[in-house]
Amino acid sequence: MTTVTLPLPPAHLATAADPMAPARQALAVMAVLAVPTMLAAGLDDRLLNGVSVWSKPLKFQAALLLHFATLLWLAPLLAAERMSTRLFRISLSTAALMAILEIAYITLQAARGRTSHFNTDTPLEQALYSLMGVGATAIVAASFLFGWLIWRSPSPGDGRRANFKTAAALGLMAGSVLTLVIGGYLGSQASHWIGGDPTDATGLPITGWSTTGGDLRPAHFLATHMMQVVPVIALVLDRLRIPVAATWLAAATYLAITVAVALQAVMGSPLIAGG
Amino acid sequence: MTWETAFSIANLMAGLCWMVLIVLPRGWPVLPAIIRLAVPLLLAIAYSALVLAFFFTVDGGFDSIAHVRTLFQSDPVLLAGWLHYLAFDLLIGAWIADKADQDRISRLIQAPILFATFMFGPLGWLLFQAVSLGQHLLVAPAAQGVRS
Repeated sequence: MTTVTLPLPPAHLATAADPMAPARQALAVMAVLAVPTMLAAGLDDRLLNGVSVWSKPLKFQAALLLHFATLLWLAPLLAAERMSTRLFRISLSTAALMAILEIAYITLQAARGRTSHFNTDTPLEQALYSLMGVGATAIVAASFLFGWLIWRSPSPGDGRRANFKTAAALGLMAGSVLTLVIGGYLGSQASHWIGGDPTDATGLPITGWSTTGGDLRPAHFLATHMMQVVPVIALVLDRLRIPVAATWLAAATYLAITVAVALQAVMGSPLIAGG
Repeated sequence: MTWETAFSIANLMAGLCWMVLIVLPRGWPVLPAIIRLAVPLLLAIAYSALVLAFFFTVDGGFDSIAHVRTLFQSDPVLLAGWLHYLAFDLLIGAWIADKADQDRISRLIQAPILFATFMFGPLGWLLFQAVSLGQHLLVAPAAQGVRS
């Protein structure tokens, strides 16, 4: 007789044997949640800010999935002893937990047809919006630490991956700081729009970024995805055997572009103006 | 696809699984995976999508009969409720089949218990508990099979 029992993952967060477990668990939650969310988007024609209520949870599920996939991708650059510290385990577990709570709230609010960020309609929603800020800070603090520990780890592969290692450290650290600064400024405003029409209906496709006025979301997007873009550029640089100075140049250029996009938004201009 | 069509497809899937559980031999390795994982997974995904998309768009709630009745006046929410039955009854049915095999309860006894679970969930589970209790009380410990 054959019985098949379900393979249940052990119920734990980070352990010494498996320090990256929280990142995999958070990634799995995003991936699994995205399936019914996409189906719901197909079934549900409610709108929020002029676009489907499901647009926001899908964007955040994708972004957080990418974030934890990135940490898993860059984890081999971390020396094993760096991952075995209590600080690393606590920070990664906290980031994973916060990401899961955050996506749960964003998805629930979409189901209720209500906004999550910038929602101060009820005391509970106001408190949860503040808590989302705390959660987001924990997530970027963990990615900053991740970058710092990569920086402190020895270079793998006798220097042939020097660009990649430097880019991973710079991308994570600078991306985290930029996200914290831009996200913090964003959170101190009443909305992410600065002038223009406060709707996604006239925004750019998929992202919904304003084409009629300033919008802080593109800068937040660039800041956060520095964690992926700079390491990908470095992979090419390593392949072409270009010295590591090129990665510094790439990171500095990226940072300058992000700051420029942020300033453009603060001055009330759209990233791409609509017709 | 109408809600009615989705309902029929879900019923057909669950019904086939129950036929397998009740009638077919247990030795085929692919069937347990379909019954315990694939079909409940599909039902759970469909349920989740319906709840996300419709639960908060209708009136009603879980706190009184009147509210539950109001809730189920919506076809998609009613379908979600039905999928909930199908998914959980099937998982319980698969669990009963496993336990019954471990207790060496004859397939002839299992069949009506499983059928009762298919039709009236908790009634079938109750029958299984009774049979299981009887088996443990009446069969001498030495005569019992390997138990996990």
